[in-house]
Amino acid sequence: MSQAAVSFGEELVRSLSKSLDEPDWLTASRLEAFRSFSQLPPELNPLYTKYVSTFGFQVDQFKMTTGKSEVDFRTFFGDFLTGKESNIVLQGNETQVHAELSDSLASQGVNLMPFHEALKAEESKVRSLMERRNVKSSGDRYGAFVNAFFNGGLFIRVPRGVKLEEPLRRMLLLDSPKTPVVEQLFVIAEEESKLVFLEELYSKGPSVPSLAASNVELVARAGSHVDFSTIQLLGEQATHISNRAVDISNDARATVSSLSLGSAVSRSRMNFLLNGRGSQAEGFEIFFTDARQRFDFETNLVHNSPDSTGSTHARGVLKGESQTIFKGMIKIVNAAKNSRSYLAHHAMLLERTAKSDGVPSLEIDNNEVRATHSASVAQIDEEQLFYLMARGLSPDESKRMVVLGFFEPVLSRVPIEKTREGARFMIEGKWQGEKRRLADRETLLAQTGELTPEVKETEDIFERHYKYR
Amino acid sequence: MKLEIKDLHASVDGKAILKGVNLSIGQGETHALMGPNGSGKSTLAYTLMGHPKYQVTSGQVLIDGESIVGLTPDKRVKKGLFLAFQYPVSVQGVSMFSFLRAAYNNSRPAGSEAPTIFEFKEVVAEKLKMLSMDDSFLNRYLNEGFSGGEKKRAEILQMALMQPKFAVLDETDSGLDIDALRIVAEGINKVSGPQTGSLLITHYQRILKYVKPQFVHVMYQGRIIESGGEDLSRLLEEKGYTWITGYQEEDQAAAPSPQ
Repeated sequence: MSQAAVSFGEELVRSLSKSLDEPDWLTASRLEAFRSFSQLPPELNPLYTKYVSTFGFQVDQFKMTTGKSEVDFRTFFGDFLTGKESNIVLQGNETQVHAELSDSLASQGVNLMPFHEALKAEESKVRSLMERRNVKSSGDRYGAFVNAFFNGGLFIRVPRGVKLEEPLRRMLLLDSPKTPVVEQLFVIAEEESKLVFLEELYSKGPSVPSLAASNVELVARAGSHVDFSTIQLLGEQATHISNRAVDISNDARATVSSLSLGSAVSRSRMNFLLNGRGSQAEGFEIFFTDARQRFDFETNLVHNSPDSTGSTHARGVLKGESQTIFKGMIKIVNAAKNSRSYLAHHAMLLERTAKSDGVPSLEIDNNEVRATHSASVAQIDEEQLFYLMARGLSPDESKRMVVLGFFEPVLSRVPIEKTREGARFMIEGKWQGEKRRLADRETLLAQTGELTPEVKETEDIFERHYKYR
Repeated sequence: MKLEIKDLHASVDGKAILKGVNLSIGQGETHALMGPNGSGKSTLAYTLMGHPKYQVTSGQVLIDGESIVGLTPDKRVKKGLFLAFQYPVSVQGVSMFSFLRAAYNNSRPAGSEAPTIFEFKEVVAEKLKMLSMDDSFLNRYLNEGFSGGEKKRAEILQMALMQPKFAVLDETDSGLDIDALRIVAEGINKVSGPQTGSLLITHYQRILKYVKPQFVHVMYQGRIIESGGEDLSRLLEEKGYTWITGYQEEDQAAAPSPQ
């Protein structure tokens, strides 16, 4: 049974932890996080504080209930509930409604389970992971918020040497009028393994204020490869908070691809921690905004070891009165000799009322590195439109082609095919004012078998643009 | 059927550039339009195609007796007009293949059925061959990173696919070396048949060795000041534009008039 909705306070921290039957150390950790949440300002970095008024929001407007949601998800998830795809988790709010892991992956020791199930099964391991979280409560108010109030989450782990080719998936359906979904995710690729993950976030029914927030701890152990991706199409009045950090060990490689289409407000933090020698990171922030959407992105590439390579590609199109900000930081410590880093932010404004800012920063403490950076915010190019119209394309069709094309140089680099194809399909949907789900793409593909012809980007990003040597 | 330009006046950002152009081009005819830099040749090309910055202030442009002034460029394409750009823009992220397919489908005669992706591939393959172009060209972004010669060939490829009734070729010969010029010129000859009327805008006479015009016009300060046969272009080559414009230096003609 659902209980009364409670505001985000210390009392909720205790009752939440109790209702989830958590050990004392976790309750204590939540309380500590709550103290940070209560004390920290929305933005700690003085470089960024001036943007808070535009992109800030109050989580206090929400209340949380501790108890199971009772919502019908069958129509939404359809045949995914009946085994259309194995290796998938289907979630309605914080509650898992269906999970399936193929026998073959299960027998190899792959985990795909709710956080609290993992906690029960392997408390000491989970505790050790929790103690080494990289989304620190002391470092960010909203990271602390999730650490204090998470009411669900996932634990994903691929054991040593096991290599996945197809993504593990999860679909989250936010049933708007119900409780906020606040999640703690662990995504762990053990040594020499390969982990591929694709999550989709949707809202159900009429749009009312709702909240989805998550902290994601990614761990790429030595020699592993992680491809993580998120497609976000929450409802028009949803607030979306995402804090992610990836710890990349020796010779490991991690990519994180995000497509942000939905929600009223979205705040995403991504920290790539290139901790191992020869580690590699690649981040993608792809967005398409309209109406009065406010998206706030921050990506940090932190090179802590020699021979590390990092890049981040932010690219998006803005319509209406929407606003975005992308804050990108390259940090290369003195020990990280022979590292290469790349940071790019490109935005296209379709209307004069839309606004996009890019705030790139570089902090480089040694000379034996290469860091490149490239940025632009521009209106759609009238000469390109004229050229396409002069080839018979209508004004609308010309615009569509230029806009969809604008995403391609970055989209075509997204490593997971399902994410890449799905992103194309959903971006096109947004252009046409349709809310398309990735599943619709799969249905269509099964019918026609016609994939979009792709032009693969082959250009070496480290060899172009402005260079810092 | 004719493309008729009658007393056309046009301006850019409030500045009058075309000051009464008269020209009539029939199907199957090739007209060369020559003239010094800044005389209004490219302005005429853009105005004919309907570039939003180029305002027609008076006069007429008719295709088959119907006015095209005020139509968006795509509507002019449907009337059979084509412009080969002097400087084709590049569009990142749009593959040459999907672009050509869209161009082809949008210039087909009304009522004809769109080809399947496979049928279209065959159509393009044939045109590529005609222009000595490689298939890999289709897998590149539109004009992105193309050499000067590749861009011009790509323009003629588009013309070949769209099969216009009237083609305006704006300095298609500029920036080409001798070999590229020959290939492009041969392409133009193959693409334009008795159903096509062409207006070849050029600064130099050299392309006219390959593409033979029946009519040559000289433009100066926004008007056509002299028309003749092919011999006119040879006279221009020998004597220079000053022979007609009366100026000492060609470059002075390019500069805005002092008054």
